[in-house]
Amino acid sequence: MLTNRRKDALVAAVLVAPFLAIYLLVFVWPTIQMFGISFTDAPLIGSGEWVGLDNYTRLDTDPRFRTAAWNTAYFVLLTVLPGTIVALLIALGVSRLKGRLQAAILALFFLPYILPVSVVYLIWDWVLNFQFGILMHVLDLLGLDRIPIMKTRDWFMPAVGVVTIWWTAGFSILLFLAGLRAIPPEIYEAAALDNAGRWTTFRRITWPLLWPVTSLVFTIQLIAQLKIFDQVYLFSQGGRPNDNMVLVYYVFQRAFQQDQGGRAAAVAVTLFVLVVVVSVLQFQLLRLAGGRK
Amino acid sequence: MTVRGMLKTAIVATIGFAGVAQAEETVVWWDFLGGGDGVRMKKMIEDFNTAHSGAIKIDATTLEWGTPFYAKVQTSAAVGEAPDIMTYHASRIPLAVKQGVLQELTADDWTAMGLSSADFAPATWDAVTMEGKQYAVPLDTHPIVLYYNKDLLEKAGMLDETGKPKGLDSRDGFTATLQALKDSGVKFPLGSVTADGNFMFRTIYSLMGQQNGALMTDGEFLAGDNGAKLANALGVLADWTKAGLQSTYTDYPATVALFTSGEAAMMINGVWEVPTMTDLNAQGKLFNWGAVELPVIFDKPATYADSHAFAIPANQGKEMPAAKRAAVLEVMSWMSKNSLFWATAGHIPANGAVVASPDYIAMEPNATYSSLTANMIFDPKSPLAGVAGPIFDVMSTYFVPTLNGEMDPAEAVESIKEELNAL
Repeated sequence: MLTNRRKDALVAAVLVAPFLAIYLLVFVWPTIQMFGISFTDAPLIGSGEWVGLDNYTRLDTDPRFRTAAWNTAYFVLLTVLPGTIVALLIALGVSRLKGRLQAAILALFFLPYILPVSVVYLIWDWVLNFQFGILMHVLDLLGLDRIPIMKTRDWFMPAVGVVTIWWTAGFSILLFLAGLRAIPPEIYEAAALDNAGRWTTFRRITWPLLWPVTSLVFTIQLIAQLKIFDQVYLFSQGGRPNDNMVLVYYVFQRAFQQDQGGRAAAVAVTLFVLVVVVSVLQFQLLRLAGGRK
Repeated sequence: MTVRGMLKTAIVATIGFAGVAQAEETVVWWDFLGGGDGVRMKKMIEDFNTAHSGAIKIDATTLEWGTPFYAKVQTSAAVGEAPDIMTYHASRIPLAVKQGVLQELTADDWTAMGLSSADFAPATWDAVTMEGKQYAVPLDTHPIVLYYNKDLLEKAGMLDETGKPKGLDSRDGFTATLQALKDSGVKFPLGSVTADGNFMFRTIYSLMGQQNGALMTDGEFLAGDNGAKLANALGVLADWTKAGLQSTYTDYPATVALFTSGEAAMMINGVWEVPTMTDLNAQGKLFNWGAVELPVIFDKPATYADSHAFAIPANQGKEMPAAKRAAVLEVMSWMSKNSLFWATAGHIPANGAVVASPDYIAMEPNATYSSLTANMIFDPKSPLAGVAGPIFDVMSTYFVPTLNGEMDPAEAVESIKEELNAL
């Protein structure tokens, strides 16, 4: 069949154009503007004076930025790897079940993922609230002291980490299950014929064949958790926001509470660069690690 | 009917509708009144619409209080999508003027509304004034008060002959009342919002005012001995925690729940919780209760107050038509003059004529705590202050550990001072 290459290209361009236009308009253009604003002292709305690299250099000595960076790193540490492992374990368990039971159990694990963050916050507030939380009554029964979990620095991040894993594991479980189903059963049959034990089967077959999915889940988690905001904002409202500060919260605080668009943009650019660098590095590393096998 | 005939009818119908729409002016209204007072405001809006049927119609939307509300106002005004009228906290006006969010209310506007500075208390009028210009019409002042459970206080023998708590005149006296309540078996003598530093700012600021302290002087935070006065204020509350006299790590809803369930005998909260108590009491679900002016812990009475006011947003690139502006002014004027019903939400109407009316004077518990109007202090006039303003997160971060006994007041004050002046 004869094809007209020029015509094909035209059709392709026409088909891509609406997406491209919207993408340029609502993503690329604002991003470029954000870079521009970060070199000015602009308020949230309107333009400001050029201040060069001031907004960036002051981050170095800004204690709240430091708290935000540390807390974000800590949160990533608490959630990314543990979250991936938990999801993998649950997926392995669920994949052993059959039929309706599997669907039911999967639904139970997936349910939290469809909840909006405000509902997640309310549910956990009912559990953790210092005066009325269910968990506090359990502590009372056990004769232990009540713990103001969301109001102390030491407990806050780990608790938000647990909530986040509970909330988001469902999606990772789905990805892992899809990966597990894609492994041909013949390979397992062959392994069984060769008398391979469970652990060997997992280590030699499941793990390497699941690797692309594992690295995908890991990357998605990493990017999502670097951008942590909602849970921290909701749980620290009125509490100790500056102690629980994370990077996106800091952008929000500078922009919307303190009306400093320029300084907020500088933090946002820093986070943007951080996410790009970390995720590219990480994906390459994971690919290398997978390729060795 | 011919095609031409149909077209004619359609044109006539369109013109007809346009005529009706022009006759009735729709005023788009935003507020942040989500609680018991919001219910009362909806009633007032209904009354307004009934009274102005066919002429003006308020189309009201209630939004989330605090930062979400003010962020939305700022962004929508910048693109010309703000409402025609909105509620605003007087304490936020300095920041709003800096952001260019509000339209000035001119002398002609005030004449059109039939209102003037003479209709408001000087402090309230001053709260909506920036550099000699007015930016809002005050609807009310809403201070904090001391709520108390008469039954529990009576049981502890701490009710005086007028039915008020004993020991409202000194720190020792009030602490003794709290201790007596504790000894009589009350779990929390004072229900305190100790998990929410933003909320506690109101109490702490009042206690600073009782020592003649100021948060901001000549653009500097906590200069001179004001730092020590803040430490004193925090120290009083921290001591009550240490002695087990107030609830710890308690957030706002939990505090109200502790009080209404009788686990806490007293509570310092805004007058906007009056409807909660009145309504519960009317349903027979609440004990005998009362509300009085805050106790004098230091040298003189002082109570933090803010004011709900009506303002016109400065919509960028959109001139408000004269007819619309007249309608908005009529709304503000009517609301101010008919704010007696608003007082049932606990608030003290800003309009002096309403406060002087016999109906208001007879209203309880407002009459009991109305003495505090002479002792009200407002936020410092700075773009950094105001509800949900820039200073809020700094304060809260240090108030919460201090009020719950994790941090020394003096240490907290040092950090607060440093961070506030770095804003």
